[in-house]
Amino acid sequence: MARNLSMSMPLTNPLRIGLRQERVIPPQCLVIFGASGDLTHRKLIPALFELFKQRRLPSEFAVLGCARRPWTDEIFKEKMEESLSYQIKESPKEWELFSQNLFYEPVDLQKPEHLIKLGERLDIIDKLRATHGHRTFYLSVSPKFYGSGCRALASAGLLRDPKRSRVVIEKPFGRDFNSAQSLNSLVQGCAQESQIFRIDHYLGKETVQNILVLRFANTIFEPIWNRNYISSVQITSSETVGVEDRAGYYESSGALRDMVQNHLTQMLALTAMEPPGHFDPEAIRNEKAKVLQAVKLANEEKPWECCVRGQYAKGGSDSDPLLGYREEAGVNPNSTTETYVAMKLFIDNWRWQGVPFYVRTGKRLAKRLSEVVLTFREAPVHLFDAAGGCPTSNQLILRIQPNEGAEFSFEVKSPGSGMRSRPVNMEFSYDESFGEPSDEGYVRLLADAMLGDPTLFTRSDEVEAAWRLYTPLLEKIEDSPWELPVYPYESRTWGPTESDLLIAKDQILWRRP
Amino acid sequence: MSPRLTLQTPLQLPPAEIPTYLEQLWSHEERGNKGANTFCLIIWQPAWIEQKLVKTGKISGPVLGSQRNDLIEAAREIILKGDLPNSTSPLDFRVHPTIQSKELIKNVEDLRGQHIDTSISNLQPRRLITIAPTIEKENNLETLVAAYCPLPEEGGGKTACGDVIVLRGNQNAINDGLEIVETLIPDELPSWLWWNGRIDEAPELLKALAIPNRRLIIDTALGEPSVCLDLLLQRINSGQAVNDLNWLRLRGWRETLAMVFDPLQRRSALENTQKIDIDIEGSQTVQGLLLAAWIADRLNWKLETFICSKKDQIKFNFIRPDKTFVVLGITSLPIGKPSINPGQIVGLRLIAKAKNKQKNDLCVILASESGECMRLEAGGMARMELIEQVVPIQKTSLENDVARLLSSSRGKTSPLLANAAPLAKEMLDLVNQTK
Repeated sequence: MARNLSMSMPLTNPLRIGLRQERVIPPQCLVIFGASGDLTHRKLIPALFELFKQRRLPSEFAVLGCARRPWTDEIFKEKMEESLSYQIKESPKEWELFSQNLFYEPVDLQKPEHLIKLGERLDIIDKLRATHGHRTFYLSVSPKFYGSGCRALASAGLLRDPKRSRVVIEKPFGRDFNSAQSLNSLVQGCAQESQIFRIDHYLGKETVQNILVLRFANTIFEPIWNRNYISSVQITSSETVGVEDRAGYYESSGALRDMVQNHLTQMLALTAMEPPGHFDPEAIRNEKAKVLQAVKLANEEKPWECCVRGQYAKGGSDSDPLLGYREEAGVNPNSTTETYVAMKLFIDNWRWQGVPFYVRTGKRLAKRLSEVVLTFREAPVHLFDAAGGCPTSNQLILRIQPNEGAEFSFEVKSPGSGMRSRPVNMEFSYDESFGEPSDEGYVRLLADAMLGDPTLFTRSDEVEAAWRLYTPLLEKIEDSPWELPVYPYESRTWGPTESDLLIAKDQILWRRP
Repeated sequence: MSPRLTLQTPLQLPPAEIPTYLEQLWSHEERGNKGANTFCLIIWQPAWIEQKLVKTGKISGPVLGSQRNDLIEAAREIILKGDLPNSTSPLDFRVHPTIQSKELIKNVEDLRGQHIDTSISNLQPRRLITIAPTIEKENNLETLVAAYCPLPEEGGGKTACGDVIVLRGNQNAINDGLEIVETLIPDELPSWLWWNGRIDEAPELLKALAIPNRRLIIDTALGEPSVCLDLLLQRINSGQAVNDLNWLRLRGWRETLAMVFDPLQRRSALENTQKIDIDIEGSQTVQGLLLAAWIADRLNWKLETFICSKKDQIKFNFIRPDKTFVVLGITSLPIGKPSINPGQIVGLRLIAKAKNKQKNDLCVILASESGECMRLEAGGMARMELIEQVVPIQKTSLENDVARLLSSSRGKTSPLLANAAPLAKEMLDLVNQTK
């Protein structure tokens, strides 16, 4: 309804313009390593352009793209212009101004002489754009270069000033607990923890941040947000797409490393953490780390009892057939990499003792969505007949994407002479309530990184706690894969049947949104 | 949160010795450390009413320069007992001369400038210079200086330190001591002036302190409306960064009104607005004018004519982009227990009528949490969709608001205020022309 109306109405609320009080980004030079890569033109430059259009970038600003390719400033601008042609068409003047901030320097992080040249170039940019040595280094490079990249920056003295220089590191941060720990100690040897920003773009989503606001800005939820009222929690992140052109990376990663260890675990942490004393980056990250340290697999001795792996097989229709994972280009025809994983976790603390957290993610599932579903305990006595046979438990559904918002389902009296109950939904939709689109996750996270605000970035102990949780499982998959086989599932379905059985043992069904 | 005191008892020094003393003070620290690399804040802190109340024994001392509860209560009592209208704000300048006194108590402790509110100290100001004029005419200039370190919460973290300087004395003494102020502001740091008094009370001093590259914090609720808007506009036009606390206090109204029109299906009502009524406390009209001007500017209305000025009401005609007239009125209401800040908005009604589509007619009523909106509810809107919202009272302290400005300003005037101020001034000029 709202979308139809928008055709004839102003898309922006004129009274809303300028009301947001955004924090001020100090003078800044953002240095992107891997500037010729996919992430730069698909996410980073569009996010920076958006920040520019929102007038949130200071006038003393520059982006220095760095990669091994021998590009010039002009070529870099042209490449970015090609990729952003759609956005530029809508705001050509803004692009003209913004692109004046784009520079390029060919850099191979493994060559010290390149780093010296980079330092000189940055000094020139400092003078040219008055950026006062404030630098954010964004490592959008292959994960194997995170450690050496940081070391190279530190050796060149570019991370010396903890107040004015910082490093942003993309996921995945390590492959397991040991590698994450080594990487942490390597990176922390190059810079202070306050300079290190480990990015998880899920935390940039408005709806993920809303979990904190919903829980801690309202009084009605927190008293019931515990084992006394909540019977289970489901966290789902499903994609309809397959592996696409990421087979090389995905084969060595799989759903557990690609999605569960970071995005889903962060959603779990925000859902389950204790209230922080105040809204302060460290206070929030302390609570997240604490709860992650208390999470455990439901059955650590027999992980196959609490974890199901799957791999998408063929599917689709005759007119639109879909390949199975093993038939995808670049994938080993005998691959045992999971494209689906579902598991049951417990949190060993007072608040959540005994409450199962079911987590699932997969590719080529029936719908693209991310959500957190809290199911409340049933009413102790059933006084009324339920239209559906038995009364449905109340559910609070936090819709992360798409159709961002929240919904609460509860029983009401069905109209008529009897006293039959049936469930209804109470809904909140970001689209309808705010009438303006939320910023893409990278917009928020890039701004925060440049502001030096680490709230939405993962700290070393959080990363390690998450890896510590899943590493036994990863080892088991590696050492005795037959104990955790990959079950095939038809593309565009809700995953293998074994996944349904996993939670059916607890008389629970996965929510089918 | 309780205010924090300075780390050491302030030392009284002759003004000429202060720069040397500060130099020495910091040279004891590690080499090259000159304190927090943040900002300097100059505060004009007259606290006339508090001084008078403390020095006449009506409330207990010391003089702090804050909006303490006992001060507000005592001022309200004086308004009730005196000849002032009940809707007089407790910090209105008319309260000060009403306070009866035969003789002022001497030796009252005056801690202005030495109490630093947590919200400000958390921002780690490098230097706070408080200018504290006294009500006694015979007081000579006293200058006090002290180092100051906020204690880091939750342990850890280095303390970034600053210092506080207080200039105290009668008006002439303050004027004499002014020249030292500029020598105490480090060039490399942004400096702010918080004029925590009436805008029209010491124009020469304000002019001397509010130099062009200094960021200015004023409160247009304090002072004669035309003087307040004149200064606001003049400073905005000169390119100075101006932050108005009166405008900041409007944020709840702006946000609530914007919120009403966030759902897409209500957007068209904005284009069909025909009438707006704004109710304010007492007779200080600046906040009402700024809100009206903000709405008009956002909706692209042009000010057409001034319709009328009754004793308690002013009305204007605006023209919408589709050439339809909009009537906008601001009404002063006699409020029994007004808020601390004069002229605060208590209600707003917006009526939108779509041509040929009666079912799309809309009436929006926003009412302050402290007031009631029955007055605005009257008037035959029965057939319209009615949206009523309560605007929460801002419970933040004055210092919190100032801290908010100090931490969020980009060193520029808010573009919304910069657009609204000229229109508000134009509206007020039309009113004054008819007087």
